[in-house]
Amino acid sequence: MSQPPENPEVRDVELEELAEIEEALQSLRHEIRQRFPTPGPRLPALLEDVDWQRLFTDVRRKLSTLGMSERSGEVDEFGMDEVTLGRARPFLDLLYDRYWRVDASGIEGLPEEGPALLVANRSGLLPYDGLMLAHAIERLHPRHERARFLVADWLITLPFMQPYLARLGGVRACRENAERLLQHRRFVIAFPEGAKGAAKVFRERYRLKRFGRGGVVRLMLERGIPLYPVGIVGAEEAHPILFREHALARTLGLPFLPVTPTFPLLGPLGALPLPTKWLIRVGEPVLLDHLEPDAADDELLVARLTEELRARIQVLVDRGLSDRESVWG
Amino acid sequence: MSAPGVIAITGLQTFAARGLAARLLERTPQLRVVGFDLRRPFRLDDRIRFHRVDLSEPAAGDRIAELLRRERVDALVHCAFRREPTLDLEMDHEVETIGSIQIMNACAAAKVKRLVVASSTMLYGPHPDNPNFLTEQHPLRGHPEAHCIVNRVEMESLLTAWIEKHTDTEVTVLRPCWTFGPTHWDHVVRYFALPIAPMLMGYDPLLQLVHEEDVVSAFERAVLAPHPGIFNVVGRGVLPLSTLLRLAGKRILSLPSPLLYRMAYYPTQQQIGDPPAAFYDYLRYLWVADGSRGWDAFGEPVYSTKEAWISFVSARRMRRYR
Repeated sequence: MSQPPENPEVRDVELEELAEIEEALQSLRHEIRQRFPTPGPRLPALLEDVDWQRLFTDVRRKLSTLGMSERSGEVDEFGMDEVTLGRARPFLDLLYDRYWRVDASGIEGLPEEGPALLVANRSGLLPYDGLMLAHAIERLHPRHERARFLVADWLITLPFMQPYLARLGGVRACRENAERLLQHRRFVIAFPEGAKGAAKVFRERYRLKRFGRGGVVRLMLERGIPLYPVGIVGAEEAHPILFREHALARTLGLPFLPVTPTFPLLGPLGALPLPTKWLIRVGEPVLLDHLEPDAADDELLVARLTEELRARIQVLVDRGLSDRESVWG
Repeated sequence: MSAPGVIAITGLQTFAARGLAARLLERTPQLRVVGFDLRRPFRLDDRIRFHRVDLSEPAAGDRIAELLRRERVDALVHCAFRREPTLDLEMDHEVETIGSIQIMNACAAAKVKRLVVASSTMLYGPHPDNPNFLTEQHPLRGHPEAHCIVNRVEMESLLTAWIEKHTDTEVTVLRPCWTFGPTHWDHVVRYFALPIAPMLMGYDPLLQLVHEEDVVSAFERAVLAPHPGIFNVVGRGVLPLSTLLRLAGKRILSLPSPLLYRMAYYPTQQQIGDPPAAFYDYLRYLWVADGSRGWDAFGEPVYSTKEAWISFVSARRMRRYR
C-alpha cells in the first residue's frame, strides 16, 4: 500500500477547493429544500399498503346499515321485533336467573289456549316488572308465548324508550290496544295502578294504589276473558324512590324525577336496579261467569269488583312478602 | 244506484284523480268521465270532458251545479285538495274547506247520487295518546299547527253534517295513508327523497304506507259500487321508520327534537309550506290506522307497507335515488 506523496501546497489548494465545493453544496441543498419542501413524516410501513379509499367506502357502508343486523325487516303489528328479542334474550335470562333470581309460581295455571288478562302491581319507573313477568311466562308456560305488557303513555312516548319498548313487546296502555291484543288471543299484562304505581315512594311499597277507572274489569265482563291477579314482590325495592323531584323533571318532560339512594348521585350507574330477590305469584283466575255482559254498565258493580281485584293482588303480594326471607333473598 | 253512467272528478290534476280517470277510461270505456280543475291538465285524454272551474270563486257552486246537471253526472269524486301545504293559508282555506262546501252544495242541487271524497289518515293527527290502530270512528284531531290538516278536518265535519241532511246521496270518504309508488310525489315523498334523512333522536315510530295502485283501486271500487261510509285505505303491516330508511340503504341523521324543529323552519321560509314541526310530529308519534274495514269493502291491497316502500325505492333507484 503506497502513501500519496506529501505535498503541502497541493493539500492547501485541495482543502480550499473542498471548502468551496462544500459551500456550494450547502447552498444547493438549501435551494433544493426551499424549492421542493420535504413531505411530512412518512406513514409506518404497515399502513402504507392500506387502500384508504376502499376502507372509507366500507366504513361508510357499514355506518349506513349500522344497527340493521340486530333488527329484522319485519315487525308484528304492535312493533315487536323477534330478532331484537332474540338478541335481548340472553340478557333477560341473566337478569331473570342471576340478578333477581326470580321465583315464579302459578304460571302453569294460565290457559292452554285463548286470551288471558294478567293484572299485576306496578313499581319503578322502568317496566322491568312487565319484562320479567313476560319472560317468566315465555319460559315456564307450555305455550311459550311472549306476553305483551301495557305501558303508560308517558313512558312509551319518552325519547329513546319508545323504540326499544315497542320492540320488546311493550304496548301503549289503552282500551283499544288491549281489546285488539285479546282478540288476537294473546296474554296481556296490565298494571291498573298506572303512573301512581310507578311513582310509589319507598315507604309506600307493596301497598297497592287505586286501580284506574275499572277498565280492566269492564274488559273482562264484556268479553268474558279470564283475569289472573299477579303479585310481583321484589320489583318495588329494585328502585327505592326516596322522594320525587318535580322542578327538573318538568324541563325533561317527565312526570317526576325519582331520587333513589344512588340515582342522581352516581349518575347513570345509579340508575341500575338493585339485585333484590323477586317472587312472582300468579293467583287463581277471577271467574265471573254468573254475571251478564251488560253488568259492565253498572258502574258501582265495576268499582266494587275492581276493589276486590285489588284486594286479591294485595293478598298475593303480602303472601309473597312473608315467603321471602329477606329483601336480598 | 248500482253503476254510474257519468262520473265527474274534481281536481283532475291531483294524483288520485288522474290515476282514477286513466283507470276508468281503460277498464270501463262505456263510462263518461267529466273533469274539473283550475287549469287544463297537460296532455289531457280527449275522452275526458274537461271544464275549467275555480273553487275559490264565490259563484263556483252555481257553476258546478249547472255543469253537473248539463252533463247528467251520477257520481262525483272530490279530489280537489292541495297536494302540498303552502304558505298561502287563505287560499288553502278557500279551496279545501269553502271549495268543498261549494262542491257539496252543487251535488245537492244537481242531485248527484254518489259522492266520493278523498281524505287522509293524517287527519287523525299524531298524538302520544293514539291507540296503535285508529279506527274510522276515532275523532279527527288533526294537528293544530298544520293548517292544511286543520282545513280538511273542518271539511270532514261539514261533510258529516251534510250527509245527515242529504240521506239520498251515497257518500264514501276514503282516507289513504302516506302513498308511495313509482310515480306519486308530494311533500311526504320529498322528505323520503332527501339525500340524508333527518330523524328525531330517540323516536322511531311505526309507519304504515299504501301503494299508489291500491289507492287508485280503492277509488275505482268506491265510485263504481255503493260503499257508503268512511274507510281507511292502508297497506297491511307496519314498519319502524328506521327500518324503512335502512332498507333503502339511506343515511340517517338523528337530531334532538328541538334542534330539528328549529332547523326545519328554514324550508318554510323558502315557501315550501306548513310549519314543518307539524310534519316531524308525524315522525314522532303513532298514527297508524286500522284498515280492516277498507280491506273488507275494497278487497285485499296488492302491496303491503314493505312492498309499497320497496316499489318506491326501486323505482327511484332507477333514477339514481340514494
